[in-house]
Amino acid sequence: MANITFQGLGKVYPGGVRAVEGVDLEVEDGEFVVLVGPSGCGKSTTLRMVAGLEEITDGTLRIGDRVVNEVAGKDRDIAMVFQNYALYPHLSVRQNMAFPLERRRAHGGTVRRLIVPGYRRAAREEDQEIQAEVSRAAEVLGITDLLDRKPGALSGGQRQRVAVGRALVRRPAAFLFDEPLSNLDAKLRVEMRAELKALHDRLGATMLYVTHDQEEAMTLGDRLVVMDGGRVQQCAPPREVYEQPANRFVAGFVGTPSMNFLEGEVADGTMSIGEARLPLGDAAAGVPRAVVLGLRPDRLRLAEPEDPCALEATVAGVEDLGDRCDVRLQVGHAELVARRPAGELSRWTVARAAARVAFEPAEALLFEPGPHGARIH
Amino acid sequence: MLAHHVTQLARRTLAALTAVAVLWAAARVITRDLVGSHGGSDEVVLTVMHWSGDAGQEEDRIVEDALRGYEEAHPGVRVRRINPGDAGSFYTKLQTMMAAGTPPDVFYCGDERLPSLASLGVLMPLDDFIEQDRAEGVDAGLDDFYPVVLDGYRWDGSATGAGPLYGLPKDFTTIGFYYNRDLFRRAGLDEPGDRWTWDEFLAAARAIGQLDDCTGAEFVTWPRMLRLYLATFGCDVLGDDGGTLTVRSPEVLAALEQLASWRFEEDNTLTSGKSRVASGATVFLTGRVGMAGPFGRWVVPSYRQIEDFEWDFAPMPSGTERANVVASVAWCVSSRTEHPRAAWELARSLCSEEAQAGLGELGLAMPSRRSIAESSAFVDPTAAPSRDRVYLEQVEVARLLPVPASPKFDALLESRLNQAVLTGDLSVDEATRNFADAWKAEGDSPLMTGDFPRMPWGALARAASITALGLAVVLGWLWRRGRPGALGRSEERAGVLLASPLILGLLFVTGFPILLSLVLSFTRWTGIAGLETAEWVGLANYTQLFTEDGRFWTSLKVTAIYALLAVPLGQAFALGAALLMNTRTPFIGLWRGAWYLPSVLAGVGVAVLWRWVFDGDSGLAKALLDPLLEPLGLGSPDWFGSDAATFGVPAFAIMNLWMVGGSMMIYLAGLQGIPKELTEAAELDGAGAWQRFRRVTLPMLSPVLVFNGVMAVIGSFQVFTQAFVMTRGEPGDLTRFYVLYLYNQAFDFYEMGYASAMAWILLVVVLVLTGLFLRGSRRHVHYEGMSR
Repeated sequence: MANITFQGLGKVYPGGVRAVEGVDLEVEDGEFVVLVGPSGCGKSTTLRMVAGLEEITDGTLRIGDRVVNEVAGKDRDIAMVFQNYALYPHLSVRQNMAFPLERRRAHGGTVRRLIVPGYRRAAREEDQEIQAEVSRAAEVLGITDLLDRKPGALSGGQRQRVAVGRALVRRPAAFLFDEPLSNLDAKLRVEMRAELKALHDRLGATMLYVTHDQEEAMTLGDRLVVMDGGRVQQCAPPREVYEQPANRFVAGFVGTPSMNFLEGEVADGTMSIGEARLPLGDAAAGVPRAVVLGLRPDRLRLAEPEDPCALEATVAGVEDLGDRCDVRLQVGHAELVARRPAGELSRWTVARAAARVAFEPAEALLFEPGPHGARIH
Repeated sequence: MLAHHVTQLARRTLAALTAVAVLWAAARVITRDLVGSHGGSDEVVLTVMHWSGDAGQEEDRIVEDALRGYEEAHPGVRVRRINPGDAGSFYTKLQTMMAAGTPPDVFYCGDERLPSLASLGVLMPLDDFIEQDRAEGVDAGLDDFYPVVLDGYRWDGSATGAGPLYGLPKDFTTIGFYYNRDLFRRAGLDEPGDRWTWDEFLAAARAIGQLDDCTGAEFVTWPRMLRLYLATFGCDVLGDDGGTLTVRSPEVLAALEQLASWRFEEDNTLTSGKSRVASGATVFLTGRVGMAGPFGRWVVPSYRQIEDFEWDFAPMPSGTERANVVASVAWCVSSRTEHPRAAWELARSLCSEEAQAGLGELGLAMPSRRSIAESSAFVDPTAAPSRDRVYLEQVEVARLLPVPASPKFDALLESRLNQAVLTGDLSVDEATRNFADAWKAEGDSPLMTGDFPRMPWGALARAASITALGLAVVLGWLWRRGRPGALGRSEERAGVLLASPLILGLLFVTGFPILLSLVLSFTRWTGIAGLETAEWVGLANYTQLFTEDGRFWTSLKVTAIYALLAVPLGQAFALGAALLMNTRTPFIGLWRGAWYLPSVLAGVGVAVLWRWVFDGDSGLAKALLDPLLEPLGLGSPDWFGSDAATFGVPAFAIMNLWMVGGSMMIYLAGLQGIPKELTEAAELDGAGAWQRFRRVTLPMLSPVLVFNGVMAVIGSFQVFTQAFVMTRGEPGDLTRFYVLYLYNQAFDFYEMGYASAMAWILLVVVLVLTGLFLRGSRRHVHYEGMSR
């Protein structure tokens, strides 16, 4: 087990495309860190640089105390689980799982087996160790009965387990996962998510995990690294990322449905959005300037007469999700979504055309203008 | 609704028209023999076929003029002229036309081919016409022809010289040596006299060989020239009766030993051997070869292009006696012509004095009529060679050499003796003994001596028709039984309709010939006379092949050795190339194209190119290898010459490496089908480059490997073009690949039945090998990678 240290890590492709820029990160020993972001954000490239499958063009990468920039992937002592599992189709599950151990064995030479005295005995012992290791891993993952099948005869979930098993037998310094669950159906994905989490808790291993699914990221990670445009936007525990997003991008990326944004101006403790005047208190103090107001959908509700922060809206539609409903609202030119309990369904449907929506001033977030505008409050 | 009806109508009309066209074409083919070629009109149409030698267009024009003249003199007769090009193409076309039952009415025939064609019965005896002419007071002028030339076209069933006349010779040539007058002067030599001897020849050749960068003589070793050489020492490979072999007589052995020693034991006396000059009539054009021969008149048109030096013609040197032979071409009449009288008159007019005078002026050959040959039409002191009279004087000593009817005689003789006197991979003793044994085995074969019944084609055709009908009924019944609903039926109809060109093609263009060749493999058939001449021999072809025919086993061995070399080497090479082409390299498209390019080039062109590469005297392979081998005290091999026993077949395997582009492309496609993550995963799992290749790439590629392997095995048993163009199987049978020997049997020896048997044996061999290959590889092939 080891920690992984990124210092100003960057990747420029030969064509001049900058895929990753200035990543500084410390993955602690035994930590589960999830790299999350939209596609093309550089998260996979970052992971592949850790694996040694992509050359590092800027900065340094350490695994444990060793700088590994120039170390070949096979010598970095890390294991990786690929999106489409990358199982060897011509080998049985047992052979697949034994593959990394076979490649690293000390007594593997066929010729030496015949010539060197005592070599054959040592090789046999090694064989037994390998088989024991494979059986152990298979037991942990509950795939003991699949060991003699070939990957072609397995379901998606089973293949996923074998892929994890192949990583597991090695007992590597760190595990890398590249979107390992995205080829599974929704139900299986949730199950495997839980299993992976349990596996991490059991092994206490360092894990670096890449996904584009923020829900998966939130549930799995000890810490999230939100990336966009090749840069780290925020690196923090899930709760903090959700409640105190570093900027408007993170705020919009994390959470379902996405955060609502309203552009306006603040001056002297009041925010103006069109005709509306919202008393936001300290957050809006100071000289007049343009800001973006961010509101989580579940924090919007129908206004009571005494609510200070209320907006005139038009209900554009209501989506019944069974246990809850999503209400689409039009405020000026902006579209908002409010997530409400299913019990309120009839109230929104009655209100239909016009509605007054309100929120608590303390729950409002304020950002600088622009897609990556920093959070002010 | 209306549109629907119109479409349907159009569709039905189209179908009906197609059916009518197919039926009409089929009917035409079937009733061809009944209708005949005159197409119902009264007009007589004669077909004439000839070739044009080195004189090219000139000969074409002369024949054309003669034909127009004939047409004017004979209203109501129309002549169609065919000229396929050179003599080789001519005989191929002639054979095809004869086999198809539509031979030309009047055509060229060389005297060397006369015994085989006459004994096959495809030529019409001309004596009756001559008699008839005489009765009508028309003289064909036979007395004017040189007797030795005319007698070459008399065949009595076992030898030339007597019996019915089968052709009217249009021209001929005697044989001698062409010499470079400038080189003779430089070497201080007198020019050859009219009675010169081999001693003088040798002295001249040695003296010229001493000159800078020069060789004494080019001495070609075609069977007729070798036999002429022997004749000057009063001996021959066949006794006077034309039957007994005298190739092992002391005189023959001594003369051949002497020729071999000139070539192999002396530097620069004769071309090839130890000298560094290629062989053939064209080497004389370089101006660095003192003499070239024994050649006839046919090289004159090309030698007249020489501007750099003076040259002339000398007679054949004499040993113990003076001797010469004639080579001639005659107009012959097909035995199957529908208008024998008109065809004869045409042949006669093509050999008339006027036509001969035109040919004589060309200089290509000597007119066969004495009156023309000795006139100014031929003897022209102003154009080289100045010694035209020498050709004529040689007629006095010219003789007919007995030639057996089987073309195998010349082929075997040339092949075996060349090993002794041209390539030098056998001694004279071994080569002559080989020849004698092979020719004796040929004569003893039951196929040659046995009496076989005619093929009962009628009964066979009836049996086949009934079987086919029965099969069709059964198939039709099976088809009806599993009939789908209306929608499925229309879909089925469309499917059958769309597939019908392929099905029909498969049945008639592929299936029928395959079946026919199976039937033919139990017959003796020349492939040149009609199918009705085929004889039923039962399993005799197969017994002969397996028990008597040493050359069959040799060709099988040559091919198997080639396969053992070429398949593993070629596949390793192709895979290696594919791995290289699978890397990310600048201009990768260019490299891939360059690797693939040779496999789209035409086979013959490639073969000619590689013939130069492996040329033992001045080839590219020699130029590359010599600097590497010389420090080790070795020389580069004479691939298809004296070292052919060791290097002949490997040379073809090396050449094959150049043409693996097709396999490479398939490997490349296979490699690109392997997911990148697999090799990445293997890398992270700790596998180095070799382990990744061995443990991941190779197993994933194994189905492609098997496919390419099977194709390569099949391909290696079908090698033909390369060998046909580069070596013709020589020296001896050292590079005689199976299919080349099959070709020899079918098209050189007129043994189509025998060749069919060989083809079926090849099919079985390839099937068995493929089966073994697939079985043997089963454990190592992983198809799992294909079903992703």
